[in-house]
Amino acid sequence: MTADVSITGVRQEFGDFTALHEIDLKIEVGEFVVLLGPSGCGKTTLLSILGGFLSPTAGAVKIGGKDMAGVVPRARPTTTMFQDYALFPHMSLLDNVAFGLRMRGMSRRERNAKAREMLDMVGLADQAKRRPHELSGGQRQRVALARALAVSPDLLLLDEPLGALDLKLRRQMQDELKAIQRKVGTTFVHVTHDQEEAMAIADRIVVMNQGRIEHCGTPEEVYLTPQTLFTANFMGEINTLQVRKAGQGVDSPLGALKLEPTNGTLCLRPENVGLSGPLDLGQAVLQDMAFFGSHLRCHFRPVTAPEMILTANLPQGTRLQTGDQVHLFGNSPVLIAEEAA
Amino acid sequence: MRYLSWIYLVACFIFILLPVGVLVVFSFQDGRLPVPPFNGPTLKWYAEITSDRDLMAALFNSLLVAAISSLVALLLGFLAASGLARVVLPGSTLMRALLIAPMTVSYLIIALGLLNYFNNIGIRPSLLATGIGHVVINLPLCFAILYAAMGEHQRNALRAARDLGAKEWQVLALVSAPMLAPALGAAFFLAFTFSWDEFIIAFLLTRFDVTLPVEIWSMLRSGLSPATNAVGSLVFLVSVAVVVLLELTLFRKVGK
Repeated sequence: MTADVSITGVRQEFGDFTALHEIDLKIEVGEFVVLLGPSGCGKTTLLSILGGFLSPTAGAVKIGGKDMAGVVPRARPTTTMFQDYALFPHMSLLDNVAFGLRMRGMSRRERNAKAREMLDMVGLADQAKRRPHELSGGQRQRVALARALAVSPDLLLLDEPLGALDLKLRRQMQDELKAIQRKVGTTFVHVTHDQEEAMAIADRIVVMNQGRIEHCGTPEEVYLTPQTLFTANFMGEINTLQVRKAGQGVDSPLGALKLEPTNGTLCLRPENVGLSGPLDLGQAVLQDMAFFGSHLRCHFRPVTAPEMILTANLPQGTRLQTGDQVHLFGNSPVLIAEEAA
Repeated sequence: MRYLSWIYLVACFIFILLPVGVLVVFSFQDGRLPVPPFNGPTLKWYAEITSDRDLMAALFNSLLVAAISSLVALLLGFLAASGLARVVLPGSTLMRALLIAPMTVSYLIIALGLLNYFNNIGIRPSLLATGIGHVVINLPLCFAILYAAMGEHQRNALRAARDLGAKEWQVLALVSAPMLAPALGAAFFLAFTFSWDEFIIAFLLTRFDVTLPVEIWSMLRSGLSPATNAVGSLVFLVSVAVVVLLELTLFRKVGK
């Protein structure tokens, strides 16, 4: 029903190209893990290795403590929810969902009952006789989920399943996925390149880049305290400043800042730049401003470094006009040392 | 301009269909020769050919050879296409090329090759030999049609089936074949009509039991007669029936 996963030293080469370098990752029982990264970062390759569609060049994968080397997809306690759903177009929804059970030799009556139960869980019980082409994208999605979960896998692999849905439906499906995962307790490994989706559903986010794990942590950790510049940039918009050690603090284009002496990069999220806070950023002139509903998005030109632009999200009620000079402050600054970046 | 294009269209159809039309019309000729003038309709030639034992036996042989050889070609083509679409082997391209190659070789050459080879291994000219010959010419066709029909979508569905626990034969029988049903049907019927019409291989590889084209050829040796027209019309009718069946069932579904 559910199992832990351990990936040790997994390496994947395609000819001269190394898709994955020495990946080590432990996934707890019942955890919802999201592999996040830009296209080509190796996240789908890692998922294919877990599903048994690829055998890694080196390294070992254990699911529930059992070594998966040489175990074909059919014999693994995993199922995959594919990006294009991969439903069987010639079968009814009921037969689609019951397919895995049929392969396990379950009698027609039993497997249909179980399939109905799964369709009920995803809210499609009344459509059991229909064919996949009669459904909307979101509904197909649900059928694919029901089909993958019907065989009670220990580990469900989701390959960018929400990529083809429109934004609103995607948000809704994210909530549903999370709720269903809580209910069934199966370990989920989900691949996406959408950092908002990752934060919305994950217990833990694994940020990947160029075949390596950049950062692995809860959404809060990954967003608020990124360990690398890549993670900082990938998780959302960010202001970066180059800083150098200078006495008790650091020297930056904005002048001396009271931070731990480090050579590296100072990262500030736009919502952490404002008119008050512990870190003095000096005077800046408002260049332009736009109303974004939940906040005002402002671009400031620091007086001491007029060639750079700081982006700040200020609260709605802020009364400022273009050309105003204000004193800016930073909250929760993150310093990334050079060697880590 | 408009009239011209209509005239052009009609001219094209006349050019294509006139020979067949003439064949059919003169199969109803009340006279000894299928040449103008037309002497009024009669069904006596049809009565004559349907009571001709040899001819009816040949017709049955043709149906048998066409059906069995097409099924075998379809099965082999399906398995080859499934394999080559799934795995990338060194030399996949070469293997595909080799499978399709017989299509480019003239039937006469294939027939000569088979005749030699069958002689060497002791297979006598027979319906079996002809059937094997027809598998040789139709396998490339079935393979090409089925291989082209296996797209990315199909690949993912097969992956999903394996992932859900299907064994390889179950993947092929329960997912791949039903998804390819239109292509399978098209390949089968095309192979069937090719085998049904085929003369050279059948001529060289049969002896006592012959197929219909070979029987017609031997009828023609004794000169033209409205009876040969009647046989031709029957053959044409079968071909038309297959095409119409194909249009009504498979191709309409594909269009949807």
